[in-house]
Amino acid sequence: MKEKQLFGRQVLADTMSVEINQQSRLIRRPAMIETSQWVICQRCSQKTTKQEVRLPSSHYYCPHCFQLGRVTSNLWLWSLPEPNQFVQCAASPLTWTGELTPAQDACSRQISDIFTAGKTHLLWAVTGAGKTEMLFHGIAEALMKGLRVGIASPRIDVCLELAPRFQAAFSGISQIVLYGEMERPYDYCQLTICTTHQLLRFYHAFDVLVIDEVDAFPFAADPGLNYAAEQAKKESGALLYLTATPSKELQRQERQKKLSVSYLPARYHGHPLPEIRLKLTSRWRQSLVKKRLPSPVKTILRKITSNQRHFLIFVPHVKDLEGVQSALKYQFPDMKVATVHAGDENRHEKVQQMRNGELDCLITTTILERGVTFANIDVIVLGADDAVFSTAALVQIAGRAGRKAAYPTGLVNFFADRQTKAIKEARCQIRFVNRKAQKEGLIGGHFRG
Amino acid sequence: MAECLLCHRNSQEQLTLWQLLNFQPVEHSLLCRACLDSLEAISPEQACAGCGRAWSDQLCTDCVQWREPSNFKNRAMFQYNDLLKQYMSQYKFYGDYRLRKVFQTKIVHEVNQFKADLVVPIPIDAATQQRRGFNQVAGLLEPVKTVEGLMTLESDKQQPQSAKNRQERLKSKQPFKLNLKAEKFNKKRVLIVDDIYTTGRTIRHAATLLLDAGASEVMGLTLAHG
Repeated sequence: MKEKQLFGRQVLADTMSVEINQQSRLIRRPAMIETSQWVICQRCSQKTTKQEVRLPSSHYYCPHCFQLGRVTSNLWLWSLPEPNQFVQCAASPLTWTGELTPAQDACSRQISDIFTAGKTHLLWAVTGAGKTEMLFHGIAEALMKGLRVGIASPRIDVCLELAPRFQAAFSGISQIVLYGEMERPYDYCQLTICTTHQLLRFYHAFDVLVIDEVDAFPFAADPGLNYAAEQAKKESGALLYLTATPSKELQRQERQKKLSVSYLPARYHGHPLPEIRLKLTSRWRQSLVKKRLPSPVKTILRKITSNQRHFLIFVPHVKDLEGVQSALKYQFPDMKVATVHAGDENRHEKVQQMRNGELDCLITTTILERGVTFANIDVIVLGADDAVFSTAALVQIAGRAGRKAAYPTGLVNFFADRQTKAIKEARCQIRFVNRKAQKEGLIGGHFRG
Repeated sequence: MAECLLCHRNSQEQLTLWQLLNFQPVEHSLLCRACLDSLEAISPEQACAGCGRAWSDQLCTDCVQWREPSNFKNRAMFQYNDLLKQYMSQYKFYGDYRLRKVFQTKIVHEVNQFKADLVVPIPIDAATQQRRGFNQVAGLLEPVKTVEGLMTLESDKQQPQSAKNRQERLKSKQPFKLNLKAEKFNKKRVLIVDDIYTTGRTIRHAATLLLDAGASEVMGLTLAHG
């Protein structure tokens, strides 16, 4: 292994054969710390009772992050301090030539300041606000100074969608994409795009670290990943969270002034977010058994199909996909329909077919709730009262409609057997940001289309 | 709420009225209902009399070809399906030792059926033991009294069985030697336990060795077949 591979990384000592000239600079940390009852993993910070994870060899292991190679109490984490060995460029490396709206520009400037100051900050911008573009100027400045930049997201799909956009925006900068099943080996690059799990392999590497979709599973639910983000950046580094739907915890930190926030309540195209319409159904799963869609659903679908619109149907669980598909095929025989879920091998192909307009309807689980853009679609949620649909998930799902400037509107219809708190909160949140945007004069069509 | 060790979903198991009222501690299952339901148990009545795969009670086509050791019988508990593959991968290759407990109750029950004098787990080589920190078969057998009757030959194991194809597996040479004096096995009924029966090469090598040492009968038990 070459030295470069260890810059800002943390690697389990037994998986390496290292030739290092910089022996004196090598940082060796025990991989686990033991207390009388607990072991604490130094890679993911998670604490486990000794008794649960004692091996016959009388060592302990961490049951939380073993997917990245098992941490045991007899191992060491090795790393070399990040030296920022990048070519300094005289001109801006930004090859993106788009323009920002005045509201985006204001956020973009704040972001640049945050990056320079090395602070932690939250960018709270509605779905389809153009968050990625707002990062470009700040990142360009950082790259020019020879800083190391990381963009991480809990979702692989988000990473894979971001990578080509960053490649195009910074075509002269070395870039690598890291995720679980990747084929390309790790390489030391100035710009790293990775899943938040991969951050567990970094140690004080990034001068600027951005976490996109910070409220998404598993980042929000996993304290180990929060720790990974803190540890992957340098102590003086900047940390920027991006989301359209911040968790209660982030909102609390904002109120307590522990976290600064930039707020953008309008989409870049200056049209309001499509509001959620709710129709009550009665026992929709039972109608599906009889190959029938609940009648309010059928009414809406007639309307959608007569306008020749394409649409997404979100269902709560993988097992609901088949029933909806067969009912749909039975009642609308000409419709081109497919289903997709996390374990679907052809997931990327089907999403691409939907984008190309080869499908009329894609039935999906929450896997497509965020990070994907289809040009001109309507959105339906069946069983919106199911517990899998959190407020954030519902707002994100509603945010799939009307994202492109050329097609800024779309129907968002929720069907549920009962009203829930999550549905109410999601409808309120969308109305709230639309009102706020209206007040600030951000919507009303005076921006470029 | 308990989290499933394989799929990490919270198992939403409802307490029964009986569990609520009898004031005994409730034993939480380590896997969720959905994962447990994906297991495919092999019934001993509908299994090959040689290797234990799901079959009629005759010898399957593979076992008709096996000549030695004659009369060797293996019992396999589950089909090696996707769920069990995921289980073995997380248990063995990622080294999540907590998973040893998942099948322990069932394995104890199976082992007791054999009424064997000695229970011998298939050993693993020293390097793997060192790296993994445990022998996966010994882990499965934790509540059972076992003897370490076998050990691996040092020269072997350039390549694990799981990395070979069927032909290469069948050609592999005896990987074990006795770890105890031959008298210990004399006229004993011995049960060899392994995690997966694939071609049968490994467990049959072990069986031959023990029969040569004087065992009166050698039987096999594996968690999975496939």
